[in-house]
Amino acid sequence: MVVDESIYKIFKKVGKHLVRHGYNTSHSGNISIKSGGKIIIKRRAAMLGDLKIEDLVECELKEEDSSSLIASTELGVHRAIYLETDAMAVIHAHNPYCVALSLIEDEITCIDAEGFALYKKIPIIDVEIPAGAYYTSIEVPKMLKNYPFVVVRGHGIFAKGMTLEDALQYVTGAEQSARIRYLTLLTGKPLKRDFSKEKDFSIW
Amino acid sequence: MKGLNNKILEVDLNREKFREVTVPEKILSDYIGGRGLGVKLLLDKLPIKTDPLDQRNLLIFSTGPFGGTIVPTNGRFSLVTKSPLTNGIFYSNSGGSFGVIMKKCGYDGIIIQGKLKELGYLLIDGENGVLLKESSNLWGTDTEKTFEELKKIEGNKINALMIGQAGENLVKIASIMNDAARAFGRGGVGAVMGSKKLKAVVVKGGNAKVEINDQDLLKKYVKVAQDKIKVVPITRSSLPKFGTSALVNVINILGMFPINNFQRGFDERAVQVSGEKIDKNLTQEHEGCYACPIRCGRLTKAGDMRGKGPEYESVWALGPNLGIFNLTSVTQANYLCNLYGLDTISCGGSIACAMELQEKGHIDDPSLIFGNSGILKELVRKIAFKEGIGAQISEGSKILSKRYGSEDIAMQVKGLELPAYDPRGAIGHALGYATSTRGGCHLTGYLASLEIFAAPKKIDRFTIAGKPDLLILKQNQKAIEDSLVICAFAGWALGLDYYARFLKAITGIDYDVMKLLEIGERIYNLERIFNIREGLGRGDDILPPRFINEPLQEGFSKGSIVPLKTMLEQYYFIRGWDEQGIPKLETLEKLGIKQI
Repeated sequence: MVVDESIYKIFKKVGKHLVRHGYNTSHSGNISIKSGGKIIIKRRAAMLGDLKIEDLVECELKEEDSSSLIASTELGVHRAIYLETDAMAVIHAHNPYCVALSLIEDEITCIDAEGFALYKKIPIIDVEIPAGAYYTSIEVPKMLKNYPFVVVRGHGIFAKGMTLEDALQYVTGAEQSARIRYLTLLTGKPLKRDFSKEKDFSIW
Repeated sequence: MKGLNNKILEVDLNREKFREVTVPEKILSDYIGGRGLGVKLLLDKLPIKTDPLDQRNLLIFSTGPFGGTIVPTNGRFSLVTKSPLTNGIFYSNSGGSFGVIMKKCGYDGIIIQGKLKELGYLLIDGENGVLLKESSNLWGTDTEKTFEELKKIEGNKINALMIGQAGENLVKIASIMNDAARAFGRGGVGAVMGSKKLKAVVVKGGNAKVEINDQDLLKKYVKVAQDKIKVVPITRSSLPKFGTSALVNVINILGMFPINNFQRGFDERAVQVSGEKIDKNLTQEHEGCYACPIRCGRLTKAGDMRGKGPEYESVWALGPNLGIFNLTSVTQANYLCNLYGLDTISCGGSIACAMELQEKGHIDDPSLIFGNSGILKELVRKIAFKEGIGAQISEGSKILSKRYGSEDIAMQVKGLELPAYDPRGAIGHALGYATSTRGGCHLTGYLASLEIFAAPKKIDRFTIAGKPDLLILKQNQKAIEDSLVICAFAGWALGLDYYARFLKAITGIDYDVMKLLEIGERIYNLERIFNIREGLGRGDDILPPRFINEPLQEGFSKGSIVPLKTMLEQYYFIRGWDEQGIPKLETLEKLGIKQI
């Protein structure tokens, strides 16, 4: 089935953004949307930064089908997210600052104004085999029921949204908050004002 | 369930008897309250194909677990009944404070059936019990006068749901009013109350306190939510300053502001009835519902009249959709609708239909022309009192147009007049009109939030891709919001992730977003089943042919039509309904719905 041109344009735009800005390597990461009761996802090993219309694959939402031969390796994670959460679009990227902080923290608290207003905190989970789809498909949807994103320790971020652009904002916003936190920690100096403590994000 | 009284008052008007009923825990966990609870009770209790104006029809008023708590915008409450305008399920949602007082009187809801012998009102006194009182002296009084009279009898500290003359006269577009201009507006629900000879439901007193599982946690969540409401521009400034009329200029610029019964989508004169003009020329004071930090309501003065509003839909329906751009005339007509108890959207939509029928030579009344503001006030009165041409218009546009053999001229779905967004300008929103379980409604699944307002992100308003999926999500979301019960405007800043946390803190039950969406889906399917039971089906999931066949000729929506058939087939598939739009057995089983 040929994917609608309007959908392809959005995939192309979002894919290019993710690679150009260092969220993914040339062939890593995957993006998808739910449309027409099915999943449209990036083809396996397609270059995210240079997607062609044939690089988009339509897959069944509720059961495995032959599209898994060519669809992204992490189709199973995307499918589980769609079935278990309110996601309409999903992005998986390898945000460097989120991944770096995930190796030293249990959650990334947003200390910047934009981060605390929009996200509050970025949860981190441990998965037995982080880069494998099976374990990730079990653990990631649990977190995405109540958060727009989750970082798999040492691996990368999964973000959901109403649209791909919505999910993209969560991926890039999480990275921005993680980067500010990382840079602030690097100075070794205490914070003059910690917004996260004022708002008590531990309860969120 | 914590957060509720777990008690409903059943009122039998025939026998003048009352009964307190405990709602089973399973029903509350499956349907929560408000709209969901009302739909479930109506389906269970109303005999099949009951005439909506028959005494057996039910009026079910209810609140939800958020009502009366510290959750922002919890003052809204719900009504469910069978509509005389659509002959299908009808749910409506009103602001004000009635629901909160009702809950303080110890009831999560009231089910009213039967018919009084003489005009009367129901008094629910939190301290002294429930009583039916005769009030034939109130016959023929408008809602403002009725409230004044009720206060003389019951004291100033009351709230009341009331019908005006339109409801008494069984006008099929009559509303039920409270707090002067707050309304259960649509679907002719005022006629149902009028058919029961029930002029008002009065609540007062009461100090029932519902149990909150973790008040401290709820306070923390609410604090975060209030901060969010303060920083989002729509809830922080647009709605408080201009009310919903802020939409006039926005929708007009997009070329989807219906003019002259949806014959055009743009008019430069729209600015004359904009939110900015209302704010500058009419607004006297701002006001809000119970526990609302947004406060979108306005007290206004137009000429020698005072009142509340007009809201966006009202200013459009009684103004530009009739070719009228005189703000004073429009506002005064809006006041009269509130006093007579008329739905402003259906009133304007039905008048617009009559004007186009006249324009096309079907009605012989030279005064009934687009742009004639001089007839507006008198026409509204004639509709409320069913006089002259007003009697025909009072039946709604579907029946009116059928009378003249020109049904295509009625801008309605399932009998309910369409609101102020031309569906050709946002085709996902158009699918929402066609598939709304209560008829031509913009609120049931407001896809305009993405297609127009980019919340959370903009999507192309003219493409099909992904629209049925997104619409279903929005419809399920709204069903649960209406059941909690919380104002739709809170959704500009908050969302189900907030509501799940509130509900968990209130009830102690482990709710999450998906659990809420599943409840929303269950409610929507139950509404669909009700409609199918009453004889509605795929043939009613339609739009007026104008939107399918006639592209708009000017503005930023020029050339667009609605590809309804393609979207509808996808919609049914995703919903798990068959080709006729009937929920499949496995869909119902998945949702735990037993009624078929």
